[in-house]
Order: sequence, then C-alpha cells, then structure tokens
Amino acid sequence: MSTAALRRFLPALRKVEGELRVPLPVRVRILHELEYDLEELRDRLAAEGLTPEEAETRALEALVPDPFAIRELGRLHTPLYGRLTRGVADHRLRLAERSALALTAAFVLLVETLALLRADLLADPSPFLWPVLGLGALLGATILGTGFELWVKGDHRVPERRLDAVVTLSMVLPVVAVGGAFIDFCRLAATLELTPDRALVLLPAWLVRDGALLAVALLFATAGAWTWFVLTRWLATVREAHREALGLDDRFPETRRVRHG
Amino acid sequence: MENDFDVQGFARDIHEVIVLSTLRAGPKHGYQIALDVEEDSNGLFRFRHGTLYPILHRLEEEGLIRGSWSSTGGRRKKVYALTSAGTRHLEGRTGRIQEITARLMQLLRGPGEAPA
Repeated sequence: MSTAALRRFLPALRKVEGELRVPLPVRVRILHELEYDLEELRDRLAAEGLTPEEAETRALEALVPDPFAIRELGRLHTPLYGRLTRGVADHRLRLAERSALALTAAFVLLVETLALLRADLLADPSPFLWPVLGLGALLGATILGTGFELWVKGDHRVPERRLDAVVTLSMVLPVVAVGGAFIDFCRLAATLELTPDRALVLLPAWLVRDGALLAVALLFATAGAWTWFVLTRWLATVREAHREALGLDDRFPETRRVRHG
Repeated sequence: MENDFDVQGFARDIHEVIVLSTLRAGPKHGYQIALDVEEDSNGLFRFRHGTLYPILHRLEEEGLIRGSWSSTGGRRKKVYALTSAGTRHLEGRTGRIQEITARLMQLLRGPGEAPA
C-alpha cells in the first residue's frame, strides 16, 4: 500500500490546496500545518473515546478551512506586489511588466557598455562583441524577470521554456564568442599574410579585442548557467515539497509516519 | 476608549484575545489551541471550519505570536508562542473588552440601576 493511501486526510488537503491562492511554498506550509493538526486532533479525540470515524469527522469539521477562511488566508499571504497592484487591470499590469522587462534589458546593455568603456575596450571592438552584449542583456533581463516572478510576485508557474531560454542563452554566448574569435583570427592571419611587418601591432590588438569578447561571453555564460542551476534546483525542491504534501510523490516513504493503516 | 464601536472588529478582537490568552500558558500547536479554548470555555467558544488559521497567521504576521517549525518522525509541525508584543497587546485588548462589556451591562440594566 502506498504511503499516500495511509494519509487519511489527503482528500481534504487536496481540496483546500485547490482553493488556496497563495505562493507555492506558503501553500505547502499551510498543508503541513493542517495535516499535523488534523492527525493530532483526531488521535486525541479518539483517545477520549470517540470512534475513529467520529474523531476524523470532528477533526475535519474543526480544522479544515471553509471558503471564508481560505479567502482570509489568501488575503494574508498575498505578496506585497499583489496587494499593491490589486486595483490594476490584468492587461495593463502585463503591459507594464513587459515594458519594465524591456527597460531592464536596455539597462543591462547600458551597464555592460559603460563597463567596457571604462576599461577602454570599446576603442577597437570585435564586431562580434555587439551580438554578445545583446544576448547578455537578454539573458540578464530573462534572469531578473524570472526572479521577479518567483520572489516578488510569488508566482511559481514559471514556464519551463523560460528556464530553457536561460540555459540556451548561456550556451549560445560562448559559441558566438568562440566562433567570432576564430573568424577574427582568420581575418588577422589573412592580413598578416599581406603585411607581415604589422604583426607586432595587430597581434596584441587582436589579443585584447578577442580576449574582451571571450571574457564578456564567459562571464555571462557562467552567471547564466549558475542561475539556471539554482533556479531549477529551487523550483524542483518547491514542487517536490508540494507534491509530497499532496501525497502525489511516494519517493520518500520513510518521511511519513504510518498511522491508522 | 474609542467611541466608534465596530461589531465585526470586536468579534475579531475577542477571537484574538482568546488565542493570545491560551498561549500565555506556553507554546502550543494549532489543534491544541482550538481544544484548549473549547475546554477552558466549557464549549462556549469553539473554532470551527478552520477559522483558527487566519487568526493565527494574522497574529503571526503582526508579530504578536511567533510560529516555529520542528520535525518529529518525519512529520513537520508548527508551534506558536506568545511574544512580548503579544503580551502587551493582550493586556490592552483585555482592558478594552472589559470597558465595552461594562458599558453594555450598564445599558442592559437601564439608567436607574446601580452597576454590579
């Protein structure tokens, strides 16, 4: 018999979960709290002389939140962002969020450019630096947007394709940079064939130019890969806890105490 | 004392005060709070249909009680304890409830009767 089948209050918990409009981690905590209380109250009532069925019914009646209590819990645990934007129409909010995301991408691009200007690396840049900067800005905006959805909006329905976009951009960046550096190298070799006497000038310039290109790409790729790893692990942990709370995951049979089996 | 009397607010105050006063004896789980309230009031006050949880979570958000998680036999449980802010709040609210009930009794007895 599965452990889920031994957890007698799962149908009630699943019903409550279906009606709760709170971030996933909060939902899991509420379900854990409720299940423990239900089981303890049932056991105590049974110890006082009630039949197991009566004790179960009394525990459910006392502790399972009705629609009003569920609404109250939803109101209490709505993230600050949700409370502040409650009066704003959905389509307007979506438009504002997308505009903010575009502005964020532009801001990331500006910061990248300023940092390279300060390091004097834009005097003679590789032509491949611009697509790398653009992709980096896109990656930065995607990461910030995902973090905003998760930790500011408390919305854990982050689509898989968003995480796929983070990891894809992280992989594309070094590919573009290495490809660009190789093409730059071929062009340098062609130039040196024609004018070998300029080698002492062109070679160091190529090293700086393509070194900067590779460094920027690797910096973004590493940041993106780490962020993807942290986000996927964190989301997997939250979703796993959610499934476990609802008895949808039997990979942890030892984590539940067997009761009323 | 505030003169604008809000019936819903008063009912909420009573529920909050009941929960806070139950926690004066020491930290408790949600179900324990519900049981103790029912037993201590001889069944007069009874939390039904999960109405206890919004009260507990609101009090926790306001810092009047502190919830802490622990794990026993793989089961996670939450225990609530009264904070010092909660103790002060309880004293203040108890005084207000006493004033309101005194006024109410005075009203019910009529102007001619001496207070009990």
